[in-house]
Amino acid sequence: MDHSQSWLNVFPDHLRSLLAKLPPALFAALEEVRIREGRPLEVNAGGHYYFLTPEGGLTRQPAEAYIPGKPEGNRLLDLITNHSLYTMEEELRKGFITIAGGHRIGLAGRTVLSGGKVEHLRDISGFNVRIAREIRGIADSLLPHLLDFKQHSILHTLILSPPQQGKTTLIRDLARQISAGTWRHPEAKWPGLKVAVIDERSEIAGSKRGVPSFDIGPRTDVMDGCPKAEGIMMMIRSMSPDVLIVDEIGRPEDAEALAEALHAGVRVIATAHGSGVEDMPSRPALSKLSETSFFQVYAVLNRTEKGTSFRLWDGKRRRVQEAGWKGRDEHA
Amino acid sequence: MLKMLGAVLIITAATLAGWIQAKQYASRPNQIRKLILALRRLQTEIMYGFTPLPDALERIGGQSGEPIRSIFRSAAESMKPGGNRTAQESLHAAVESGWKHTAMKAAEKDVLLQLSYTLGTSDRNDQLGHLETAVRQLESEEAVAREDQARYEKMFKSLGLLCGAFIVILFY
Repeated sequence: MDHSQSWLNVFPDHLRSLLAKLPPALFAALEEVRIREGRPLEVNAGGHYYFLTPEGGLTRQPAEAYIPGKPEGNRLLDLITNHSLYTMEEELRKGFITIAGGHRIGLAGRTVLSGGKVEHLRDISGFNVRIAREIRGIADSLLPHLLDFKQHSILHTLILSPPQQGKTTLIRDLARQISAGTWRHPEAKWPGLKVAVIDERSEIAGSKRGVPSFDIGPRTDVMDGCPKAEGIMMMIRSMSPDVLIVDEIGRPEDAEALAEALHAGVRVIATAHGSGVEDMPSRPALSKLSETSFFQVYAVLNRTEKGTSFRLWDGKRRRVQEAGWKGRDEHA
Repeated sequence: MLKMLGAVLIITAATLAGWIQAKQYASRPNQIRKLILALRRLQTEIMYGFTPLPDALERIGGQSGEPIRSIFRSAAESMKPGGNRTAQESLHAAVESGWKHTAMKAAEKDVLLQLSYTLGTSDRNDQLGHLETAVRQLESEEAVAREDQARYEKMFKSLGLLCGAFIVILFY
């Protein structure tokens, strides 16, 4: 079983055989597999959803769909936790587990509170297996817009998009190309830069025992499973990066750590959930960053059936670029 | 002469049978004790080491003597990724296949099988609770096993010899 199918390993036999019966084109494009106890088994691909029938066919009718039960849920949980739920207490608090290969599995169940905070997740009955894909070249058309020709580096960039639009896949490819020095621009001839990735949820690099399982470039260091704010400071102090890459910033301490990076002369590429630059001021952590004009480029992703397009704004949030296509739905 | 040889053979066989039975009584409490120690180590691995179950069982297996070693090792082996077996199934299968090589009885086996249903499926405190219960049950079984040893070990040793002698007397 090759790397791109490692996520299949966590499924109980029966579910695995159902998934294996999917049409190859759909199977290759799978983004999410959703298992909800007592409700239809769902798969998502290319922005569409389908239920699976007990024979392995596709349907949109919930009544015809295969319905996973409690034993399958328990078995799945046992397999994704490596038979050791007790090692996943922090993950359960956050609501997801990342498995080998960088695939993230979101969990839903009943929370156990302690002092008003989520202490534990029990009776887990909903699973969302998000399949991580490495799409080499997905950043090809965006990268030339992020170049800093004066400093021979990269501009501070914030990538905004709603969930499931390919942010993580995009910054993974950016990390690879920046680190390798393939700038996709005829006049950009400087060599690759030292890249530091703060991979809080092990999604960007898909690290297994500290070693990235995705190609994230020859000059890239990964701090795996590390809280972003702390990771940024650790990387700046210890690894002297030229470019820092972080996924999904959103807390006030993230903003402070990024400001620190700015003063240290490190370039930053970050992503955040959001539908456009307009709603940045209403987000506490992001508004601070936008007020200080920290970021020099904002890119907003928008995925359609044809591929992913992006729109660009400059540091003062003025529109600079109309939709450019970077839609390449082939899988590396 | 032939009769004499037969008599010697019968007495030797009966004595050996008695010895083997006696040895079972002697090993049972020791093996239970080793199992208890192994479970205690598992507690530590879970509580302080955050060690994933397959690694923990592998390690504990390595530290324990036979026959406990092979039970834990084979459970750890079948939990490896790609095996598609749950912790419960793995441990169950390992206990079922390895139990005949131990001197332990059904009561201890039930404790382990019971434990297999909960092992790895809850948070640390809960795991500790279940392990603690298993250890307590094993300790009470150990006490019973020690009593049995005191009562029956010597008896079976002499019983073997005596049975042999009895048969020989009957047929001679």
